[in-house]
Amino acid sequence: MADVGRLKNPSLIGPLLNPVMRLRIVIIVAVVALWEIVAVSGWLFRDVVPSWQRIIASLAATLSQGDFYFHLWATVYEIAVGLAVGGTCGLAVGILLGGNRLLSQSFESFLYYLGPTPKIIFFPVMIMWFGIGPGSKMAMGAISCFFPIALSVAAGMREIDRVLIRVGRSFRLSTGQMVTKIYLPAMRAPILNGVRLGLGVALIGTLLAETKLSNRGVGFLIIQSYNTFDMPLMYSLLIVLFALAIGLNSIIGWFAESDRMRR
Amino acid sequence: MSIAPARDPVVPAEAAQPPLLVVDDIVMRFETPEGSVTAVEHVSFDVKQGEFLAVIGPSGCGKSTLFNIIGGLLDGYQGRVAVGGKRIIGPHRSIGMVFQEESTFPWRTVIDNVAFPLEVAGMTKAERIERARHFVRLVGLDGFERRYPAELSGGMRQRVSMARTLASEPKIMLMDEPFGALDEQTRLLLGDKVIQIQQELNQTTLLITHNITEAVQLADRVLVMTYRPGRVKRFVAIDLPRPRNSEIVGSDTFGHYVAQIWSDLREEASRGMIADESRSRGRGRAE
Repeated sequence: MADVGRLKNPSLIGPLLNPVMRLRIVIIVAVVALWEIVAVSGWLFRDVVPSWQRIIASLAATLSQGDFYFHLWATVYEIAVGLAVGGTCGLAVGILLGGNRLLSQSFESFLYYLGPTPKIIFFPVMIMWFGIGPGSKMAMGAISCFFPIALSVAAGMREIDRVLIRVGRSFRLSTGQMVTKIYLPAMRAPILNGVRLGLGVALIGTLLAETKLSNRGVGFLIIQSYNTFDMPLMYSLLIVLFALAIGLNSIIGWFAESDRMRR
Repeated sequence: MSIAPARDPVVPAEAAQPPLLVVDDIVMRFETPEGSVTAVEHVSFDVKQGEFLAVIGPSGCGKSTLFNIIGGLLDGYQGRVAVGGKRIIGPHRSIGMVFQEESTFPWRTVIDNVAFPLEVAGMTKAERIERARHFVRLVGLDGFERRYPAELSGGMRQRVSMARTLASEPKIMLMDEPFGALDEQTRLLLGDKVIQIQQELNQTTLLITHNITEAVQLADRVLVMTYRPGRVKRFVAIDLPRPRNSEIVGSDTFGHYVAQIWSDLREEASRGMIADESRSRGRGRAE
C-alpha cells in the first residue's frame, strides 16, 4: 500500500508541456478573449463588462494605494481569527464527539443539520453582540468553519487505528499525552481536510458579512464600488479576492503535501 | 510440614528464586448475545527471570485475551497477575507489549518511534535519542533512524515496534504473534534476532503464538493451551542448546519437539474447527 503512494506521477515532461497544463492555459486565454470581445462589442452594456485595460488600470491604482492594504489586512485578520477560534472549538468538539459514543449519538445529528444552514442568518445577532466592526465578521468566520472542522475531526477520531491507542495505553499515557501524542498526529489528514473546508466557508462567511454591514475590509470595498457603480474597481477587487483564496488554500495544500510522505 | 527450618541443600539456588511473573488462576468470561462465553479458564503459570515462555494454542483458545489481561488492557477477569510478588492492575511499567498488528507511529521516524516511551517519561531529547539509538542498533536497524515506517518492510516495522517496547526497559516483554503477518523466511530470521536480543539483555519474554516452529525455535518452555475455554493443557520444556539459531529447525530433536506439540495441538485445533463449523451452520439455519 505504502509503495503505491510512492509511484507518484513521474512527470518526465515539463509542467508547461503536459496536456493538463496546456488545456488550462487554453481555457484561461479563451475566457480572457471572450471577456474582451463582450467588453469591446458592448453587447452586455459597456459599463457592466469593462475592458481588461480598464480593469488592469484600476487594479494597479488600487494596489498602489495604502488605504487598500488597510482593508486587505482587516479581511485577512478577520478570517485568520475566525478560523483560529472556530477551528479550535471545532477540534475540541470533534475530539469529544469522536471519542464518546453517547455524545456523538446525541449531538452529532444536530451538527449535521446545522452545518449546511446559511450562517448569514446569525449575522444580525452577531452585530448586536460584537458590533459592526471586525468582531462580528470574525464571529461569522468562526461559526462558518466550526461545523466542517468539528464533523471532519469527529469522523477522523473514529478512524484512528485502534492498535495505536492500545500502544498509548500500554505505555501509560495520560489523557493529555494521548491527545497530543496520538490522537492529533494520527488525525493530521482529517484535520487538514477540515481546515481546508473550514477556510472556504470562513472566507465566504466573513466576506458576506463584510458586504452586508461593515466599515472596513475587502468585502466592504467591493460593495462600495458596486454602490458607486465603479465596475473596473469591483472586478479588480474580485481578482484580489481570488488571489487571496488561492493563496490561503495553497498554504494548506502545502502542509498536506509535505505530510504525505509520512503515510 | 517439618519443624526443622533448615533448607534442603539439594535444591539448586535458581529454583529458590521466586518467579518474576506469576499468572494465577485467571478466568475470563465474555457476555455475548448468545450467552456467556468462557475465554480463559483457570490458567496459571509463572515465568522466571530471563526465561522465554511461549504460549501456544489454536485460534479461539483465548491467547489474545491472556495477552491483554497480562498487559493490563483488559479488565473484569478473575484471578491475579503479579510481578516480583506484587499484584499489578492495569498497564504496568514492568511489562512491555509488542502487538500483532502494525503498530508503529507512521508520523514518526524510526528513531522517534523508538524514543516514544522515553519521551512520554519526560527524558530530555538528547538523552532519549542516544538511548533509542542503542535499541535501534540492537534490532539491527542502524542506518534507518531517519526513515519513516512507510519506507520500511513489514519485518523492519515489527523490529521498530520491538525496539520501542525494549526502550522502555520492561522487566517482561510480552509479545502477541509479533511475526504473524510475515512470511516464513522473514519470520525465521527475525527469530534469530529475537534470540540474540533476548540473550544479550537477558530479557524475560512471554510470546503468544500459534506457530509451533516459532515456539520451539525461541522458547525455553512452551505452554500448550486447549481450545475454548482456554486451559493449560501441558508444559513442554524445550531442551535445545543455547545460543540457538534458525539452523536448529532442521535438527532431529527440533522435529521431535514440533511433533510432540503438534500431537497435543492437533486435537485442540480440530475441536476448534468442528465447533466453528457447527456454529456457522447454526447461524446459517437461523437466517
